[in-house]
Amino acid sequence: MEGRWDRARVLALAADASSLRAAQPLASGRCWPLTGAAGGNAVWGECQGSAAAPYRTVVDLTGPAYQCSCPSRKFPCKHALALLLLWSDGAVAADGDPPGWAASWLASRSAKAAEPKPPADPAAALRRAEQREARVASGLAELDRWLCDQVREGLAASQRHGYRHWDDIAARMIDAQAPAVAERLRALAAVPHSGSGWDGRLLEEYALLRLLADAGRRQAGLAPALRATVRTQVGFTTRQADVLASATPVKDQWHVLARRDLDQDRIRTRRIWLRGRNTGRSALVLSFAALGQSLDDSLVIGTETDADLAFYPGAVPLRALVAARRDTYPQTYPQTPPGPAPAGTTVAGLQAGYAAALGEDPWLDTWPALLEATPASAPLPCLVDAAGDALPLHPGAGPCWPLFALSGGHPLTVAGEWTPRGLWPLTAWDQDGMVVPL
Amino acid sequence: MSSWHDLVTASLIGTERAVVPAVAIPGLPSVAEDARDPAAVLLDQAALLTAARRAGRPPDRAEPLPACEPDPRPAVNPAAGRRLARILDGEHAYLLAEWLAALARRGLRPPAESLPALLDRARRADPGLRSLVAEAGGPRASWLARLNPDWGFVIAPVLAGQDAWRLGDPAQRRSYLAGLRSRDPGAARELIAASWRGAARDRVMFLSVLADNLSLADEPLLENALADPADDIRVRAAYLLASLPGSALGERMVTRARGLLRLHQGIHGKRLVINPARRDGSMRQDGITLVSVVTQADRAHLILEVMARTPLRTWTGDFGLTPAEVVALPAGSWAPALLAGWSRAAVAQRDHDWMDALTRRALTGPPPGSGLEIHALQQLARRADPALGAPDAVPGSRRDTPAAIVLKFRYEMLKELDDDDAY
Repeated sequence: MEGRWDRARVLALAADASSLRAAQPLASGRCWPLTGAAGGNAVWGECQGSAAAPYRTVVDLTGPAYQCSCPSRKFPCKHALALLLLWSDGAVAADGDPPGWAASWLASRSAKAAEPKPPADPAAALRRAEQREARVASGLAELDRWLCDQVREGLAASQRHGYRHWDDIAARMIDAQAPAVAERLRALAAVPHSGSGWDGRLLEEYALLRLLADAGRRQAGLAPALRATVRTQVGFTTRQADVLASATPVKDQWHVLARRDLDQDRIRTRRIWLRGRNTGRSALVLSFAALGQSLDDSLVIGTETDADLAFYPGAVPLRALVAARRDTYPQTYPQTPPGPAPAGTTVAGLQAGYAAALGEDPWLDTWPALLEATPASAPLPCLVDAAGDALPLHPGAGPCWPLFALSGGHPLTVAGEWTPRGLWPLTAWDQDGMVVPL
Repeated sequence: MSSWHDLVTASLIGTERAVVPAVAIPGLPSVAEDARDPAAVLLDQAALLTAARRAGRPPDRAEPLPACEPDPRPAVNPAAGRRLARILDGEHAYLLAEWLAALARRGLRPPAESLPALLDRARRADPGLRSLVAEAGGPRASWLARLNPDWGFVIAPVLAGQDAWRLGDPAQRRSYLAGLRSRDPGAARELIAASWRGAARDRVMFLSVLADNLSLADEPLLENALADPADDIRVRAAYLLASLPGSALGERMVTRARGLLRLHQGIHGKRLVINPARRDGSMRQDGITLVSVVTQADRAHLILEVMARTPLRTWTGDFGLTPAEVVALPAGSWAPALLAGWSRAAVAQRDHDWMDALTRRALTGPPPGSGLEIHALQQLARRADPALGAPDAVPGSRRDTPAAIVLKFRYEMLKELDDDDAY
């Protein structure tokens, strides 16, 4: 049996501070006339709330995933959090069989995890795939005409356009089954109001979109890796099973460097950046949470994991799946201190790596940074390395005071995302090697 | 030869009106030879330059900031650092001052990454918390304050003497007044009397300075404050007078309290008996707001308000019992009002024997009966001896009560600061 989780690990699951606040008064045996747990696999309970019927809460600890009969749309809801807090305090007996309502949900989850569903009708699937290719092709042609129209008429009018201007063309890309293009277009509505230099940024985006439309048209002649990149940029997805089946797993001791959560259209995306100790490779593990799902908490910042990663195909393969893990799941974190700080590069080293990657994939606009540098303000916040080379911090990251406080004018190891607008700091290791998520 | 800037300018105007600038890119046909749509030509050139500019971005130049001087104090262990983050995040937020004071007693420093949140919190807080944060923050906080003017209070010049009083921020003015009170209490009283007609915020500060080393010489000032237009000032002054041995208000309260409550020696043992309540003319002035004494709830309110302002030694003295014995006396349906009143009195009079006795009773005796009692208990639990929150000090059936949760949090918080190995 695996051990109970530490309180901090439970708290880290909360979607926001308010759900934590709501959970704390419920984390008491008084509120839970019925609780139980099955080893390190599941916890369940009935919470007596204001309603007549108790809320029924189940947590599948292997996910973790949550199910609760309350109307909350947060995952985990306050009941699930409270139940886990109670369990982490040792107040839940760990020997029971789940009652029927919990057992059926847990069973449905393990069934779902166990059996991949075969495609129903290969011929129909092929037909649908061909239809999609045709739709995407005509959509990209339309996009190309639209982009040229923008440049012909001049971008100066963009500041007067409302969101509709980009939403309309984005909606047409959705119809053309090119969702990633649509997402890129929708994001453009904010660019004309993003401050000085907006015109250059808009032109960059239009130019890269035209390059994508052009590449999509000519994808048959592209090298397989670049073709995969183009298709991903358009919005074709690769199934996890296909990635696991086709990619040669990369075995390494992976350092979990940084984490960034983004909320978009009621979907939370978690990006975890890893670096292999022996291969030196960077990897990006994505997880998503929609309603009814929880974000992946199995990779803890600052720790190392002995794992096989399967990389998605692409000209610069970054995105990966954890195919297998050989270490024990860090249940006891943070009782055991994470390992030492990884070795960062200079600004020149970071830029050389990014330049080489851009040579393979011109659309790449998020690149893992691991820098040995000191925060400074000159006058805008930046990171400056020992050679005096500096990179700006991303304006969206705010003043980054915790990073400055941690540094005190001394060099740090900083992990983050390098983008054309600046570096978004995510994790720092202080002079004592202590890891701090920012 | 043209540059990115020219491409942007042309794209702003539009290729209908602007000529696509000639960008010489090795290996590509020059624009003049390109017969395609000028808009497409411009976008293709822009795509190339975008990739080239991103790949070849020259680094900025920047001077590092001056390094912060070292802080000789050891850092708290990570577990305590995480607890600070919880407190700053709003969990038992009122315990921040206690945590910081405990940190200072042990000569430790907080985690550097928490300093911005601590400084933000202190910026909006009272002078006491500000100085605790400034002390805990040490040289790193001063270093940060030079970067962010919002935190300037950490490095504000120390104003001496009269300047601190006339020109200083609230913290400096309070500190000047407290210093004067310890050197020359008479002069401090004169200064308060002369400055009394200022802002209500100042008067709150005056009362907080008077609360330390209260003496009968302060009584006229406090009696004067009982007539203040602000409710808050009147209530604070009344509580101070109640805790001042020999004050006229204290005597009035003792008379009222003795009229309300007596010890009955019956054949089944001792119990407390409540006499019928009466209103008297000076109640309002003494901070007791009362509409009537008709209903049970009105009477309970009166009992609570009177008990809250009556010196607690009245009961130990009159009954010849210890605080623990007094709080254990049966009082029937009046017990919640009595306990809530005594709890307020214990907090206001800073009487730790009573605080501990009341807390112990709450954790072991019958469960709290009313919202008022629960609230009073939570106030007690924030101040009572944290050892009462030790795992074996609270019976299992009570570990979920709000008071027990507060005590347990405080017990763990202080224990954790002493644990060098906690991670």
